[in-house]
Amino acid sequence: MTGTGWNLAWRLARRELRGGLRGFRVFLACLALGVAAIAGVGSLASSVTKALRDDARVLLDGDVELSFTHRQATGEQLTHLAASGRVSIVAEMRAMASAGDSRMLVELKAVDAPYPLVGQARTAPEAPLQDLLGLRGGEWGALAERATLVRLGLKVGDLLRVGEREFRVRGVIERESDRSANVFTLGPRVMIADMALPGTGLVQPGSLVRWLYRVALPAGSDATAFTEDLKLRFPQAGWRIRALSEAAPGLQRWVDRIAMFLTLVGLTALLVGGVGVANAVRSFIDGKTATIATLKCIGAPSALVMRVYLLQVLVMAAIGIAVGLLVGGLVPAVVAPLIAQAMGVEVRTGVFAMPLALGTAYGLLVALAFAFWPVAQARDVPAGALFRALIVPPRAWPRRDVLVVTAAAVMALSALAIVTSLDRKLGAGFVAGAAVTFLVFRLAASLIRRVARRMPAPHSPMLRLALANLHRPGGNLNGIVLSLGLGLTVLTIIALVHGNFSQALRTQLPEIAPSFFFIDIQPDQLPAFDKAVAETKGVGVVQRVPSLRGRITALNGVPVDRAVVSPDAQWAIGSDRGLTYSSTLPRDARIVAGSWWPADYRGPPLVSFDAQIARGMGLKLGDTITINVLGREVVARIANLRAIDWSTLGINFTLIFAPGTLEGAPQTWIATAQVDREHEDALERAIGRALPNVSSIRVRDALATIDGVLGSIARAAQLTASVTLLAGALTLAGAVAATQRRRIYDAVVLKVLGARRLDVLKALIVEFGLIGFAVASIAIMAGSTAAWLLVTHYMRVEFSWLPLTALSVVGGAVVAVILIGLAGTWRALGQKPAPLLRNA
Amino acid sequence: MSVPAGSSRDAIVELRDVHLKLESQAGEVNILRGLDLTVQRGETLAVVGPSGSGKSTMMMVMAGLERASQGGVTVAGQDLGDLDEDGLALFRRRRVGIVFQGFHLIPTMTARENVAVPLEFAGETDAFARADSALGQVGLGHRLTHYPGQLSGGEQQRAALARALVIAPDLLLADEPTGNLDRATGQQIVELMFDLARGRRTTLVLITHDAELAARCDRVVRMEDGRIAEDAPAALRATR
Repeated sequence: MTGTGWNLAWRLARRELRGGLRGFRVFLACLALGVAAIAGVGSLASSVTKALRDDARVLLDGDVELSFTHRQATGEQLTHLAASGRVSIVAEMRAMASAGDSRMLVELKAVDAPYPLVGQARTAPEAPLQDLLGLRGGEWGALAERATLVRLGLKVGDLLRVGEREFRVRGVIERESDRSANVFTLGPRVMIADMALPGTGLVQPGSLVRWLYRVALPAGSDATAFTEDLKLRFPQAGWRIRALSEAAPGLQRWVDRIAMFLTLVGLTALLVGGVGVANAVRSFIDGKTATIATLKCIGAPSALVMRVYLLQVLVMAAIGIAVGLLVGGLVPAVVAPLIAQAMGVEVRTGVFAMPLALGTAYGLLVALAFAFWPVAQARDVPAGALFRALIVPPRAWPRRDVLVVTAAAVMALSALAIVTSLDRKLGAGFVAGAAVTFLVFRLAASLIRRVARRMPAPHSPMLRLALANLHRPGGNLNGIVLSLGLGLTVLTIIALVHGNFSQALRTQLPEIAPSFFFIDIQPDQLPAFDKAVAETKGVGVVQRVPSLRGRITALNGVPVDRAVVSPDAQWAIGSDRGLTYSSTLPRDARIVAGSWWPADYRGPPLVSFDAQIARGMGLKLGDTITINVLGREVVARIANLRAIDWSTLGINFTLIFAPGTLEGAPQTWIATAQVDREHEDALERAIGRALPNVSSIRVRDALATIDGVLGSIARAAQLTASVTLLAGALTLAGAVAATQRRRIYDAVVLKVLGARRLDVLKALIVEFGLIGFAVASIAIMAGSTAAWLLVTHYMRVEFSWLPLTALSVVGGAVVAVILIGLAGTWRALGQKPAPLLRNA
Repeated sequence: MSVPAGSSRDAIVELRDVHLKLESQAGEVNILRGLDLTVQRGETLAVVGPSGSGKSTMMMVMAGLERASQGGVTVAGQDLGDLDEDGLALFRRRRVGIVFQGFHLIPTMTARENVAVPLEFAGETDAFARADSALGQVGLGHRLTHYPGQLSGGEQQRAALARALVIAPDLLLADEPTGNLDRATGQQIVELMFDLARGRRTTLVLITHDAELAARCDRVVRMEDGRIAEDAPAALRATR
């Protein structure tokens, strides 16, 4: 066989590659940036996940954790646990801590002597926990996080009141190994001994106490077999079992979700970079016209020519991807210390194969999807180009094999984005959104070109030149519009989504949401609560309802772990849900199916359920839900479905029972109160004095916490998105460089005709400004649409358009990108005419 | 007046009523308007004529780089109309060597690699050895590993000549091979080209504006407006 195969192609490609990376810088940077973003986000998520897995035993403080709300394990259960391994019992609840007139909500934790079973608590001063917490001279000790002491104006050695008991603060908690970052905590930690808890008066029937039973099994035991045995032995226990695999489920979910979003943002950067890749390959092939024609003249078939250039592009792609992987792989090492601090997890650094593989796959597919068509154009370079200076117009439509390969790469890319997405629907939405955005900006480029061509010629020659540059053949408007457009759209989306949340949290919610939540009000305390509220000035609407906790255990008789539940409804079965009962339809409730029961209903258990969760669980009117309430299984039939607007932060319950089922169960009441800002402290003090066991949650503080967390996420997203914009700027710079020769020629001719450098600069500013303005306008529209879809349909929050936010973000980005573009053209402006004219 | 040459058993190039039309934005352009030409094995032919008269296009048609819109083209016994694009590439690889005014060496390859490429296309295992020998024949035996950028214009054209001849073509096409060279260097290249072509009985078709160079050929064809305006032995032409 003659030498037209891949071997010869590789030999020739290698020879050409000796020319170095010239002409490939933008190509490499675009690929490396996108791959680094994806690999970096993935590596970081993997390192946190690995930390959570490696430290699972420490985070769980045992091999298995059983938890109850309201109630404790039975003697029989406890005996069995104690016989199986070492056991530690911990109680957690929210409570009010006070010192003098200062009161604050804290996360109270009462621990027994064996605590911690596996991990450790770091305190200052360092001493055994039991010494610090135990009874000494008639006083119980307490440990507090520094924030508690600061807020209450205390120091170590002072007295701290929790509920009805006073504690001597004997130290500061610096770290609890079983407390990984709780993203939304409502208060800092106070730790006491379990023996001291009853004296606080906080543990009342139905009060929101979580009892945690941790079991450290003897070495070599099978934890899975142990939990399976527990389920068989105590089928009605109603406890929540956590094994090592879910030591920090909340944090893990959080990490997975943020990683998914950031990966999609990284993928956008890669797509934007893809446009740069396509441009770079196109101008590379353009620059190789003479070589390609020469090869053809001396007998190289088209297929060989294409292979030679495809191999070169693949080698460059491999280099770009390798650089991206290297940078991305280093992200955990750089960011780990910050994460460790924020999450309370010792982040492991290391090389994580999966995210690197994913980055490689994305990088290769993007390179193929964007570069194959321009590479294939090498085949169409006519050998006759050597005999005359031909301008070869690119084929309007690629050949069939190019179309097949490109389509396959695009489909593989889409499939990868969807399959690796935690939420397939969101992944599919991203793919669809990206496709639509590409199409929109491709059309926009055509439109800009057409409008520029049809516009009446302006008087100023510079303006005429600027307009002509927009539509002259051989320009690169498509690439510039696409890359800039995609980058700006992503920025708009992030800015608007975050802006909407922030606005909701800072201004809208505080207006409609109650000022306080009060929890753990005992039924016999209701008159005292009402009195305290009535005596405080400035109090508006007060609502109070009975509250219990229960776990959904079966749907239509099928245990939940075997039932089909969609991802967006999973949260409802993961842990205890709040329950209430009511004879009348609650204010603000909106029934979307079925009807409310009569006020005097006395019959088999009926329940009113959240319509959205019901859909996720495949439940309809008349179906049954089994709920374990305080160890008792209640089977209730769905009487109606409600559309719940959680965003008002009012009292909302997923499950509301009809009268006749829950009244006899131990319960507490929760209340909300709206109060003028200046009277908030007074109300909190009044309730604190009258009902020391009742915890008050300031909604404003909670919202500020959430706003802070969301702010951090938005910053992470913006950082990742800035990679997108950087890729866009690179693409623009590459596109400008590709037309550099033409621009230098223009500049020289204009100078010969008497134009000053400033005049030429003006023409360029007008040209880029027109593109920037048109693209920014469309990006704002496209980004706003996508943000509206995300905010209203995915996050279910009311959307308001924030023109200032969008304009400032996009405007700033456009100016930055144009400056980069102009910097690339500065050389053209400085060109001296004479040498160029002599060579012409 | 055109003098159609008759077909011959030892003809290397036969053009029969060759027309070439190209589409352009201004409409159809007739570049070649009925060429009839036969060139014999070992013959040297100069093609002269003003710019735009169709010289280069005729050469591209002979090399199979451009297809005739009408008429027949046979080179080295092969009807080029029967070949597809890859077939034409294969044909060039075996039968045709081309030398350009602008040399057109591949800048990323050394002189040796440039000359070896056509042999490598043909799957020859001794491509480098033969390339070295070809470069030796053009006096570049000491420049084997130099890149085009490291060679003078004359050296580049010699390397290009070595590349064109290394496959021992039946037909050597040269498009103003001395156009980019100074007079003395051009002279050396011409001597070399004629010597090598004669030594191998290679047919040489040469486009040139240089009357002196044209006069060195066996025959001179003058083109005008896409037609052969004159076809005469160089000696006869020189006497006019």
